[in-house]
Amino acid sequence: MRRTLSLLAGTVLASAVLTGCGGDADTPSTAAPGTTLVIWADQRRADALKPFAAAFAADNGVKAEVVAVTQNQQQTFVTASQAGKGPDVMVGAHDWIGNLVQNGLIDPIQVSDSEMDGYVDVARKAVTYQGKVYAVPYAVESLVLYRNTELAPDAPETVEDLVAQGERLRRTGKASQVIGYPISQQDGQSGDTYHMYPLFTSGGGYLFGTDAQGDPDPSDLGVGTPASIKAFERIAALGEKGSGVLRRSSTSDNASAAFTSGKTPFMVAGPWRLPDVRTAGTKYAISPVPGFAGAGPARSFVGVQSFFVASKGANKALAQEFVSTTLGSPEVADALYEAEPRLPALKESLEKAAADPDVKAFQDAAATAEPLPSIPQMVAIWGPFNTLIHAVIKGEPVAAAVTAAGAAIKEQLGS
Amino acid sequence: MSREMLARHGFAVLVTVFALVPIVFVLSAALNPLGTLDSTTVLPNGAGLDNLRDLSTGTSFWTWYRNSIVVAGMTALLSVAVSALAAYAFSRFRFHGRRVGLVGLLVIQAFPQFLAIVPLYVIFSVISDTWPAFGLNSVWGVVLLYIGGQVGVNTWLMKGFFDSIPRELDEAMLVDGCTHRQAFTRVILPLSAPILAISALLVFIATINEFLVASVFLTGDGQRTLAVGLYGLIAGERNSSFGMFAVGTLLTAIPTVLLFQFLQRYIVHGLTAGSVKG
Amino acid sequence: MTQDTVAGARSAAPRPSPPSPPPRREWSAHPGAIAGRVVTAGALAGIGLWTAAPLWADRHWAGLACVVAVTAAALAVYLSPKRLPGKYLFPTTLLIVLFQLFPIGYTLSLAATNVGDGHLGTKAEAVTAIETSSVRRDPDSPEFRLTVGERDGALVFLLTEPGRRDVRLGDADGLRPLPGARTNTGGRVVEAPGVRVLTAAEAATRGRELTRIVVPVPGGGIRSQGLTRAYQGTAGSRYDASCDCVVSDGRRYHADEGEGRFVAADGTALDQGWKVGVGLANLTAVFTDSRLGADVVGVFAWNLGYAVAVVVVSAALGIALALALHHPFMRGVRIYRTLVVLPYAMPAFAMLLVWRDMFNTDFGLVNRLLGLDVDWLGTGLTARLSVILVQTWLGFPYMFLVATGALQSIPGSYLEAAKVDGAGAWQRFRAITLPLLMLALAPLLVSSFAFNFNNFNGIFLITSGGPFPADDPTVGATDLLITYTYRMAFGQQGADYGLAAAMSVYVYLIVALLSIVSFRRTNAFREVDR
Repeated sequence: MRRTLSLLAGTVLASAVLTGCGGDADTPSTAAPGTTLVIWADQRRADALKPFAAAFAADNGVKAEVVAVTQNQQQTFVTASQAGKGPDVMVGAHDWIGNLVQNGLIDPIQVSDSEMDGYVDVARKAVTYQGKVYAVPYAVESLVLYRNTELAPDAPETVEDLVAQGERLRRTGKASQVIGYPISQQDGQSGDTYHMYPLFTSGGGYLFGTDAQGDPDPSDLGVGTPASIKAFERIAALGEKGSGVLRRSSTSDNASAAFTSGKTPFMVAGPWRLPDVRTAGTKYAISPVPGFAGAGPARSFVGVQSFFVASKGANKALAQEFVSTTLGSPEVADALYEAEPRLPALKESLEKAAADPDVKAFQDAAATAEPLPSIPQMVAIWGPFNTLIHAVIKGEPVAAAVTAAGAAIKEQLGS
Repeated sequence: MSREMLARHGFAVLVTVFALVPIVFVLSAALNPLGTLDSTTVLPNGAGLDNLRDLSTGTSFWTWYRNSIVVAGMTALLSVAVSALAAYAFSRFRFHGRRVGLVGLLVIQAFPQFLAIVPLYVIFSVISDTWPAFGLNSVWGVVLLYIGGQVGVNTWLMKGFFDSIPRELDEAMLVDGCTHRQAFTRVILPLSAPILAISALLVFIATINEFLVASVFLTGDGQRTLAVGLYGLIAGERNSSFGMFAVGTLLTAIPTVLLFQFLQRYIVHGLTAGSVKG
Repeated sequence: MTQDTVAGARSAAPRPSPPSPPPRREWSAHPGAIAGRVVTAGALAGIGLWTAAPLWADRHWAGLACVVAVTAAALAVYLSPKRLPGKYLFPTTLLIVLFQLFPIGYTLSLAATNVGDGHLGTKAEAVTAIETSSVRRDPDSPEFRLTVGERDGALVFLLTEPGRRDVRLGDADGLRPLPGARTNTGGRVVEAPGVRVLTAAEAATRGRELTRIVVPVPGGGIRSQGLTRAYQGTAGSRYDASCDCVVSDGRRYHADEGEGRFVAADGTALDQGWKVGVGLANLTAVFTDSRLGADVVGVFAWNLGYAVAVVVVSAALGIALALALHHPFMRGVRIYRTLVVLPYAMPAFAMLLVWRDMFNTDFGLVNRLLGLDVDWLGTGLTARLSVILVQTWLGFPYMFLVATGALQSIPGSYLEAAKVDGAGAWQRFRAITLPLLMLALAPLLVSSFAFNFNNFNGIFLITSGGPFPADDPTVGATDLLITYTYRMAFGQQGADYGLAAAMSVYVYLIVALLSIVSFRRTNAFREVDR
């Protein structure tokens, strides 16, 4: 294929010049001489990584380039890697692992068990897939409850308690919203499984069971079961046809805006909202997301930000060196935490960071959390489950919606 | 004022309000000192240039701006030039394969280029290996791609216009011993200024709005276009970046407005042959 | 990319065309013409050489042959006194072939495969991935300190271990002591007899070679992990060509060329698969898969309705406004015109995103302004109305401009004559103004339809195709064929390029058919034959 493509490619330049586009102007130079370690990350992490990449490059006498990929990071990585144009190191969430492995695009990281013991359990579990470590974790993120301590001095023990506090504040006019709970994705068009998961689990639901190895088991689907209907009935009671506490118009973004402007006493969000909250000067405290009264704990998903070594990268040895030696070091972990306050995955750094009461609170909240499943079958969940959340919050009949979503997921798993 | 005139004004005002509300909203978001979506009202609630400053210092906005102008400008210019050549051949020559060529062009241009993004990516990754200046992450590569996507449509558009120019004009020149090239440059081109202008404008607008292809092909921060950059700005932090986004939107409108003004005298004539935007 | 301009061909009245004078087929001996030819030849040859140089350097003969062929063709076309049309058509042809025809062909070829997540590459790539990812570090492997060395041009491992002073050399023959080597305190070898110690940068440039080295030792092999570390491990899976299977932890997974996966006897398959041909399965899926078929029919119906509605509503609004302002006593026409055209100048992609926010139920501007509590984008009907409204907002100014121009060009004498004949205002409008307006607007309406039929941004940036029914999240209420197809290839549900390519082919056929029909209606084909 590449051969025939080259044939065509050969004609491009001819056409370029015939059309008057001689390429004589300030053509951006893409190929630099020597070895260049290419790292892809999203915008924020790219900024944080730049100094370390530069230092690493200087130490090893090579060049390093950190490229910010602003959207569809995983998709872009897959397309580019397959075409041989991908990076050497990719930064992303651990739940990409299943898909990237089935596409043969990432390599296992060969580090000793004792080295992996240096990471917090949930991070180690998250980057382990089919018994092998596929990424170096660096930050652990899970959901917590932020509360405005001026409005709500006491952390609510249960969802009911939270709603009661919020309603009281709303009645007295101190707040206009009970809680900033993200229900929709940023585009507003579908539900947000990630944020709904704590309530779903507290109500007794689960997505996949676990197999003997401790990995998620796609043959045991928890959506569409009576337990999942019960869970969603409790959620629906808070929805738009219920108490109206949860609304589809709420996204991670405007929930944060409502919280920082004091319109609501509570917000469910991850550590990435901490800088906003601090900047806004809101008096806040962090506690675990509460569960329903008399029900199980609200387990949130843990996303582990990780470094992957691309199988098809041009400088795999260099990438391994960077990821397993440099990025795994406590100094870098500390510095990355300084650049962006997310829970470090490295125990040593976490202990230092835990001097900050917020970090401690995050750590406590993460105790009941579980890693986002990284099996490729998760792609069958997102669409139907997101749609289901919207249907339930909107006030459609719960049992029918849950059953339909379960059937839709099953169908996709089957194919 | 008669009741009829009142009704006419009433309707016109209504439509004008419909046309303006979103724009005024964007304007007030751009001036909003808080720069967030939820604090923005229809009418400006304050005036500050904080968003413009944030946009200039916090992002590579002006690089995107330059890239967009280069990409859209070059695409407009070159695709009009290439299309005009082809349209002249189709309009004035009778040659073997002309009919097949014309119908083929019509059928081929109906293919939405971005549906073939995976094949295109593979093509450009091969180009990158050999001629990086025209490969991935190069504005020139994207320009070529856009021209390839626009050239069929424009050829048709222009051929229609060329057909309406009386043949007697250029044939008189040929009889006088001029070459076809001279007939083309001295008769056809000056007479078809309206369609050239309208085509250029439409290509410019289409290109500056394009973000699917650009987001895949131009990933480097230094190569991004406005559509990709601005989309990225609110993809993550919608609410807090809305003010910057609004400023960017207004600034993006400027080249289009200028071009519109500049080409205005041609546009009235070329308009009916033209098209819509999106 | 956005298919923005779909040409509305001008329908000029056909007229008899005089025969073209025969083109001159002689070399012009004029000095200027000679110079022109020399310059052209030089330029073309130069471009050809510049293009060919990297291919030559890469020993890429096929590519080189192609460049030579294209350059030769260009020279033949541009230097010959004949082939006049060719001179004008050459660049267009080249661009169309490369960026339209080739992608279409490639898409067709993808449609006949199962390419998608888990089946991206070749079988060889899948085997490599399986073998690489099966390497398991032995739990008791020492933490080797690796220094990369070079001996006789080949890379070798220089290994030390924490707690041991000696240096050992590892290569494809195994591991053996290397007396006389010196290390620094960190365990890095700084000098070794008969071996050149490489710097990190040198080792990095030879990374590919480095990662392929396996030093055989009893019970496994030593491999590098980065530039400074090595470990002992074993590969759990191995491809066996004799049985065309992968042996993994004692189990055999046989290659299934129909599915492009390695499958064990009990039906379990390895994750990594490869791309195989599936014939027409993707293309026929629309007919054989009843749900897919129903979805596509539903989407197509709405797609058609959307395009028609947008055209009709925006044209009606544009014409109505043009008529309202078209009155001799009307004041402020210029101001209205300037303001109304503004939406046209705004960048559409950005304004679509702004509209999306304006439709938010609780915080959106639309509800705030109108004092409503409508869930605009949340229910099928309102979402459809919303996207039509937004596209009307974007499209009507242009319709208005064209209608204004057309109204001004209607000779007043027609209307006067009708008045004299006793026709009322409404009759005059129906009999004269409207037909003439429609004549002027027809090409625009056709191209507007063609554009909106594939208006990806207009849907994707506002609703992403939603809202989605709970029982079938693959198809949303506002999905156009093109957004539906796009999500199939790049959506959340995992990429299925093969099926998406097949869908693209159908979308393409429909659009091509529509454009042929509509162009036929605007007399474009008569012009082809002229």
